[in-house]
Amino acid sequence: MSKNGKGSGRTLSGLLDALGQPVIAVLISFLIGAVILFASGYNPLTAYGTMITGAFGKGFYLSSTLSRATPIIMGGLAVCIAWRSGYECMGGEGQMIFGAMVSALICYYMPGPGIVRILVAFAAACLVGALYCMFSGWLWHRFKVTFVISTLMLNYIANYVCSYLTLYVFRDPASTDINATQTGKLIESARIGRIDLPGLVNSLPDGLPFKEGLVKYFKGFNLHWGFVITVVLVILTWVLLKKTVFGYRSRMNGLNDRFALYGGVAPVKMLYVVMFLSGAAAALGGSFEVLGSKYRYVDQMIFSTGYAWSGMVAALLANFDPFGTMFASILLAALATGGAAMQRSAGIPIETVKMIEGVIMLLMSVKLLRLFAFRHKAKTTATADEKGGDEE
Amino acid sequence: MTLSADYLAQVFNTTIRYLTPILLITLCANICSKSRVFNIGLEGTLLSSAFFAYLVQNKVGNIWLAVSVGMLTGMLFTFIIALFIVKLNGQPMIVGMAVNTFSQGLTTFLLQTIFHTKGVVNDVKVTGLPKVNLTFLEEKFPIVYKMFSKLTAVDYLAFVLAIVMFIILYRTVIGFRIRCIGINPEAAKSLGLRVDRYRVIAPTLSGCMIGLAGCLLSLGSVTMFMQDISAARGYVALAANNLCLGHPLGAIASSALFGFTKALSQILQNVAPMQLLECIPYASTIAAMAIYYAVTTRKHKKRKAL
Repeated sequence: MSKNGKGSGRTLSGLLDALGQPVIAVLISFLIGAVILFASGYNPLTAYGTMITGAFGKGFYLSSTLSRATPIIMGGLAVCIAWRSGYECMGGEGQMIFGAMVSALICYYMPGPGIVRILVAFAAACLVGALYCMFSGWLWHRFKVTFVISTLMLNYIANYVCSYLTLYVFRDPASTDINATQTGKLIESARIGRIDLPGLVNSLPDGLPFKEGLVKYFKGFNLHWGFVITVVLVILTWVLLKKTVFGYRSRMNGLNDRFALYGGVAPVKMLYVVMFLSGAAAALGGSFEVLGSKYRYVDQMIFSTGYAWSGMVAALLANFDPFGTMFASILLAALATGGAAMQRSAGIPIETVKMIEGVIMLLMSVKLLRLFAFRHKAKTTATADEKGGDEE
Repeated sequence: MTLSADYLAQVFNTTIRYLTPILLITLCANICSKSRVFNIGLEGTLLSSAFFAYLVQNKVGNIWLAVSVGMLTGMLFTFIIALFIVKLNGQPMIVGMAVNTFSQGLTTFLLQTIFHTKGVVNDVKVTGLPKVNLTFLEEKFPIVYKMFSKLTAVDYLAFVLAIVMFIILYRTVIGFRIRCIGINPEAAKSLGLRVDRYRVIAPTLSGCMIGLAGCLLSLGSVTMFMQDISAARGYVALAANNLCLGHPLGAIASSALFGFTKALSQILQNVAPMQLLECIPYASTIAAMAIYYAVTTRKHKKRKAL
């Protein structure tokens, strides 16, 4: 029995190792958020209450959370791909901006049926994002300009260039408002379609006991197919990173580039392939945002929402695991939509969410559990046995 | 646009005003990199200290208090960064980004709860840092007057601090130790230095310079605070630090380069659209680093060939 107990204790601690730190980090940061809210005269409990109902309370809220999560997941995947391979690239924002811009322009100006426009827009967005990312790769490869500086600078440049383009070159011809800096609105057929979940729920057989509740919940559900594509891409990325030779090589490259070189990884090729994939993923996120929810490029739309940064936080929370990134992204998106609800109903600034994100990041940078475990090593070995025994 | 001495003096003046905050941050980045604390949280630290300095000046109206609060904020944030990186073995990139994200949230949150605006606070009653009075120069040397007009004491202090930093780093025992730790921490440890303590304290003390830079942003040539007022100066300073090879006097030169590009984007306002001009400082940061690398490696190759 003691042997079994040890075994289950080990898997339990394995699970704790993977989940414990993110959970602790999230909890502590919410606690700090509560303290800040309390200090500024808001009631933290009502704040968090409205946050949760505002993120998941109705089908409509759930769908807006998920549609917000879409670009965040893509930004997270971009970070997963690049950082696992040892390239600490922070250019997701710039790539996303260009992806959004290019797809908005192609879907608006290109003639032809909607589906063709969408596909071309996806391809072009991927290409532009990938090139933009590969440019910082080239700067590193050729001139040893560190990724941090080049990618951060390129983010700002992307934002300003697209600002210029929306203001002076591709401004919405239909809009009469002089302050509206946005491109033209896409026609109906050139948008990503909606998932007909309410209809699906309605068509369920009548006998089901929970049908009424489901119908009521999903009444306002309004999510575009981009989310589904994103989930598929998450699975593909997982396969790529965990189950293929490329994934293994990229991981080796990240852990120890000299060893990778010794093992036959071509470093230059690896750099550009990784940059290509990472840039394409981030740009696709911007593309989904435009074609699925905004239907146009609005100046500053990516810069001000900070999707790419949230994606980075998500990837860090999940320790660069694609599935974990997806769930963390949904959590962060829920924070944001819930935060928006909090702002609407209780007048609490949405920036609380950003502070919480910052604290999560700070706590995730440190191996909290290991610190904790190190101190209580003697105790935990004793208690793990007991816990295992209890479960039996 | 004519190139007169008057005009050039104006350019010089603008350059100086953009240069000094970057110089101060570069000096801090310098100490951080010497202590092996890779600090990209400079940006957020700058933002927060600019905000708190402005807040105190707006609510209390005592410039000394405002500057010291700004400096304390800078030191506190840098202390957190150094502590997490050195003592808790945090991943530097993430620690820095965390501080940046947190500062962005914090400043906007407080902007909304205290000033009830989202964007800019621009109170006419708030007085900025006192300007150094050079009116006695106005009649005899109008050009010189124009070159140095409207500069605050902190602007001059920045240059003094660069020289002081040079003296501390290269002419004192403490400076020698800090540099030693940067070059080889193990060797420093074997000499009996408390390496970790140096690596936390040195950046923390240098954090006060970010505080000063923050004061310059929100209380310097303009007295206001707006969202994202730091505008990537923290990142630019990192690049400037790379360019100056970690030498405090070189920092003056490299931050002058960035000050000039920023001034250039201001000067050319009538020539090209503002959005494209805003790109100049960022693009030239990348270009400067690339060119610098290309030039130095060529030199190395020549030396090797000889």
